[in-house]
Amino acid sequence: MSTTLTIPKLEMSMSEGTLAEWKVEDGAAVKEGDVIYVLETNKTARDIEAPTAGTLVHKAPAGETYDVGTEIGEIV
Amino acid sequence: MSQGNLGIEPEVLKAIYGQMARIRAVDKAVQAGLSSGKFMFTYWPMTGQECIPATISQLTTERDYMITTYRGIHDQVAKGVDLYGMFAEALGREDGVNKGKGGSPHISDPSSGSMVTTAIVGAGAPIANGLAISAKERGEDRVTIVNFGDGATSIGAVHEAMNLAGAWKLPVIFMCQNNTWGEYTRIPTYTASPNFFGRAEALGFKGVQLDGNDPAAFYKGMKEVIDYVREGKGPVFVEAMTYRLGPHAGVGDNYNATKDELAAGKERAPYEKTRALLLEAGISSEEEITALEAAAKAEVEDAIARALESTVTPQSETLIDVFADADSVPKRGHYPVREAEGELSGPTETMTMVQAVLSAQTLAMEANKEVFILGEDVGDPQGGVFGTNKGLQDKYGDRRVRPTPIAETAIIGAALGASIAGMNPIAEIMFVDFMGVCLDQIANHAAKQRYMSGSATHAPMTIRVQLGGGMGGFGAQHSQSLEAWLTHTPGIKVVYASNPIDAKGLLLSAINDPDPVVVLESMMLLYTQKAEVPTGDYRIPLGVAKVKREGTDVTLISYGWELLNCLAAAEELAKEGISVEVIDLRSLVPIDYHRILESVKKTGRAVVVHAAVEFCGLGAEICSTINEELWGQLKAPAVRLGAEYAPIAYSKDIETNQVPNAGSIIARVRASVKG
Repeated sequence: MSTTLTIPKLEMSMSEGTLAEWKVEDGAAVKEGDVIYVLETNKTARDIEAPTAGTLVHKAPAGETYDVGTEIGEIV
Repeated sequence: MSQGNLGIEPEVLKAIYGQMARIRAVDKAVQAGLSSGKFMFTYWPMTGQECIPATISQLTTERDYMITTYRGIHDQVAKGVDLYGMFAEALGREDGVNKGKGGSPHISDPSSGSMVTTAIVGAGAPIANGLAISAKERGEDRVTIVNFGDGATSIGAVHEAMNLAGAWKLPVIFMCQNNTWGEYTRIPTYTASPNFFGRAEALGFKGVQLDGNDPAAFYKGMKEVIDYVREGKGPVFVEAMTYRLGPHAGVGDNYNATKDELAAGKERAPYEKTRALLLEAGISSEEEITALEAAAKAEVEDAIARALESTVTPQSETLIDVFADADSVPKRGHYPVREAEGELSGPTETMTMVQAVLSAQTLAMEANKEVFILGEDVGDPQGGVFGTNKGLQDKYGDRRVRPTPIAETAIIGAALGASIAGMNPIAEIMFVDFMGVCLDQIANHAAKQRYMSGSATHAPMTIRVQLGGGMGGFGAQHSQSLEAWLTHTPGIKVVYASNPIDAKGLLLSAINDPDPVVVLESMMLLYTQKAEVPTGDYRIPLGVAKVKREGTDVTLISYGWELLNCLAAAEELAKEGISVEVIDLRSLVPIDYHRILESVKKTGRAVVVHAAVEFCGLGAEICSTINEELWGQLKAPAVRLGAEYAPIAYSKDIETNQVPNAGSIIARVRASVKG
């Protein structure tokens, strides 16, 4: 079972976020709790951790701003 | 295994860690779900505060009451709220403990003792007093624990509640989880207080400061506190020292903290420390702990998987749980026919409205020992500022007639909490103008408890409120008619009698109603109206208007003291050949649109009169409904007449004329009839 990664809504006021940097390469293995990417919001930059273990698949390039809910990757 | 040097029984420490592991598993799963985008709800993490509820769970049972806040997921988990129901609630699903209507910030689960969860900072404390009153009066040994953060110590509700609990020696524990942050603002930015527990001493009761991150020390301290409160020695304020590792809302670390602060906080965090202690002391093996953590994770994963399968609570539920009966909900196009009271019989006495209110309260107190009165100055000899409770304290004692501090938030909160526990309190607010002080308790809590809890809990309480007006000379802050504040708030019923017979019958209905009812009492009517009132118990049903004078040309619709002006105007207008029908609404919510529309169908014209400000008043609502429903049948549009848009003036000349009087009502009716 794969886990879809979308831009999360971390604050009541948040409607979009910037995928600042992928911290794990496309296709690499991740453990639950590993920092996989950095999300910048209007408040702060946050390390986002892998919610589960598996292989990370990038589906969106870093450096772009996406709406909350946009699919950016998957852990398979 | 013995206690040894740990200061706590090993089995107890293990059990505390077990609860901490469940809390941590929930916290991690929520943060993972939010981070991946699987969940889309707001989360206020309590990471770092797990030890407090985990420890309390070993000293309390589901019989003990708990109130907490939106951040209190750790409190819910340790209290025993079913995780499936909790996650389904957070996701807005049918199978949520509150049918998905409250969400995680409003969990109410009486089966575990988690009674109220509030998203209004500090507002739980006054309600906790009411739960504690119920336990004390019923002779139960339950304690009530109300959790809040250090930030809540700044708000008036907490101060009012603490003062009342001290005065009444209530079995309540004010559990201040001092995580050093009030949302995004830290101590000492928001307070110069060196501590918070010292405030209890200033109010005459016990306050203690405990290390909320050390399970052994906290267990020992809390055991003493809980025993003390259970023994009936009075309330205790506990300042439990901890640290919030997460942000106010969202996931991850507390980004407002400096790196050093955060590192120090993590160093002291209870979860990892307790785990290490179990290993070092040889209480548990690594295998045992890993198995326990895996079990907690599995429990959470199972709960989430099932919660995601539960149906999103459907739109068809919108008007369910506003009131016990859906027919009381005002809804365009739905005008239920409610049966009127029959002919009143039995012996009567001449009573003023004051005596009629007193008679209703006496009957209610005699019939049900869970009815009690609280409010400012309600005790004897004065029996309330207006004397509506005279003799009741002498007769029923000071536990059932409770004079309160001058603190409306504490009064309404105490009544609300007692009603959530099933009692039927009558809270008296001396002037409707003071409602602003306690509107949060009325509008955000009493009115919404049934809905937010999906009817898991409800509030069968009565709030008697006196109004100035119609007498003159009380000025802008003691003469208002504020019923529209209430009628605009879903979940609260409102009645307003114009005479002693209705006053008694409506009050008895209110006291016996399953939902909160505000009973408005005009001070002028209390003193001036007399009638032959039946001495026994009778009820005027809520939501039933009454035709006070029949007529054929125009319908005057009013309530409260303005009804007298309407009757006087009708008498004058009859001399001009205008036949006026006068309707007394009696209930504002539920409203009797059936009888209003039946009358206006007959007369073809309507004028709605109230002492409240005309702009955005109830008159506008009633006129709009009449005009929409009877458009083709009207001889003239329904119109309203209320007070001019100004505070009530002290000048007699202004006050007499800014509010509808017989003269201005006559003019408005004439204009309607003659076009």
